[in-house]
Amino acid sequence: MSATTAVPPGTLRILIVDDETIVRDSLAAWFRQDGHHVDVAESGKEALRLVSAGRYDMAFLDIKMPGMDGLEVQSRLAAADPELSIVLMTAYASVETAVKAMKNGAYDYIVKPFDPDDLSMLVKRAAEHRSLRAENIRLKKSLDTAAAPPPLLGASPAMQHVVDLVATVSASDSTVLITGESGTGKEVVARAIHAASPRRYNPMVVVNCGALPEGILESELFGHEAGAFTGARARHKGKFEAAEGGTVFLDEIGEVSPKVQVELLRVLEEKVVTRLGGTTPVPVDFRIISATNRDLQAAVKEGSFREDLYWRLNVVHVHIPPLRERPEDVPVLAEQFLAKFAQSMSRRPMRFSPEALDALAAYPWPGNVRELQNAVERAVVVGRNEVVRAEDLPLRITQAPAGGPGPGSLAEAERAHVLSVLDASGWNITRAARVLDVDRVTLYNKIRKYELKKPENGA
Amino acid sequence: MEGGAARLAEAVHLLPVGSVPPGTVEALAARLSRRVELACHVLSPRDLKVRRIPNRDQLDAGALLEALEARATADAGLLVGVTGEDIAIPVFTFVFGLARQGGRACVVSLARTDPTFYGLPPDPALRDERAVAEVLHEMGHLATLEHCPDRGCLMSFAGNIERVDTRGSRFCPSCADRLPHWLRGPAPMPDLV
Repeated sequence: MSATTAVPPGTLRILIVDDETIVRDSLAAWFRQDGHHVDVAESGKEALRLVSAGRYDMAFLDIKMPGMDGLEVQSRLAAADPELSIVLMTAYASVETAVKAMKNGAYDYIVKPFDPDDLSMLVKRAAEHRSLRAENIRLKKSLDTAAAPPPLLGASPAMQHVVDLVATVSASDSTVLITGESGTGKEVVARAIHAASPRRYNPMVVVNCGALPEGILESELFGHEAGAFTGARARHKGKFEAAEGGTVFLDEIGEVSPKVQVELLRVLEEKVVTRLGGTTPVPVDFRIISATNRDLQAAVKEGSFREDLYWRLNVVHVHIPPLRERPEDVPVLAEQFLAKFAQSMSRRPMRFSPEALDALAAYPWPGNVRELQNAVERAVVVGRNEVVRAEDLPLRITQAPAGGPGPGSLAEAERAHVLSVLDASGWNITRAARVLDVDRVTLYNKIRKYELKKPENGA
Repeated sequence: MEGGAARLAEAVHLLPVGSVPPGTVEALAARLSRRVELACHVLSPRDLKVRRIPNRDQLDAGALLEALEARATADAGLLVGVTGEDIAIPVFTFVFGLARQGGRACVVSLARTDPTFYGLPPDPALRDERAVAEVLHEMGHLATLEHCPDRGCLMSFAGNIERVDTRGSRFCPSCADRLPHWLRGPAPMPDLV
């Protein structure tokens, strides 16, 4: 029988490689009694020929053979078929050789003579291992389909450039810095990079650096030991450890304090973290993607952001232009959001009226894609039929003067702009303050001054 | 279809080989005759001059099987070598028995079926029952059967004495269907109600 002969499920295709006839024949007869398909080879050269000609699940390989040494045969067999589970056999127990074989990628190592039970268990384990590996590959394939993030959409050349850059950078392990105004979709791009990268089956851990005070951010990022500070009752692993093998997404990296910047730089350079209150460095394997809506280069110049950290983070730079600079993306994104919300709210397929599309196209979208998404969600909620009308959109969109400067006085202009940003951010004060580039107290003062009120229905 | 050993079997001959405790092969034949539809004969002991495995106090089971197969002529039925000595094939630490699928001869060792091998008190009945199970298992191979994945089947692989005891002494329905009539055992007595 040839090696490519189909075998029933549960049985293995086994190759026995040994220069001693008695060993080859005994093992072959033994495995055949278990229903496995067995071929034999009396030299490494013959084994290589058989493996190149057909598929085997497992190979039992004698270490000491004339001609090609067993370890060399092992390397060549593994190169010819990386899926092959190789078990090395020897008549002399040598820890050194065993370690070498295992480091070389052997599935196992056994010493002659074998205990029949041990050999039977080894083959059973190998069969289970192969079955789990096959299942793992199958599940990863279904995961790729089921958990794939939505594609990055955009008809504009600027967005096409971002899509191309994401495709290129995904294959590498370089750090990526994503810049763009608030609401442009920096996290969406980060998720797209992670999902297309070799690290996709490991976690992507998101840390919003701007939302946490310095002490808590340190603990979140690097973890802490029990008793490191008041309230630290148990050991806590940080985000770098949680992302083992995956991606750490540091959002709002521009908000990180100088002290944490130093610690981040050390982690990036040494790939080890030391938990707060701990002394033992823990090796970590991660990729960093960071994002900011601030001008980091300006921050470097003014001394609030470390230059060495900036260059560490900015190996590849992806800039997402604001939505107002790529108006051709508005209808594409709006249609996608409309389909998504109609489906999630169990509505029939919906479409925009020409007037609604005109209004969407004329609006400058200071809150970018996030504002557009909120506006479409509101329209699906309030719209009563399958066509989204202009009046279903928020007032600020339909009443925005096309391209005009707006109200007459500076105060009126400021009032209108602050209100527009607040609406776009869903009255999230932190987010709106960031878009307006003022602190929260200033924003509260403006709200009081202009007597702005959050709409009752949240629209 | 019954071919090879199945077609040839009219009787089973048990041949004591090497050192065997007196009376054990006869006791084994008596037990075996209750499990198969074959006449079970005990042959006179023979010194087959089988080689020992170097540096190990074990008979070479492969060489012993070859010697038995050479004696098992076409008209002699099945030949079962029974030895009280420990046996192995060089690549294994030991075997309970050995047969070639579709062959006419097999060998079983009583050494490891004996509780005293494991430091336990003697139990001749248990030793002989285990030995019968081993003979039936090897005869299953002679009837071309492979190892069975059903762990409760006599044809399942046993790599230690616990498995010999726990797998029982019966063939599973799937293996029983493939057995020749003489190995299926006598038909059960009809209900007398």
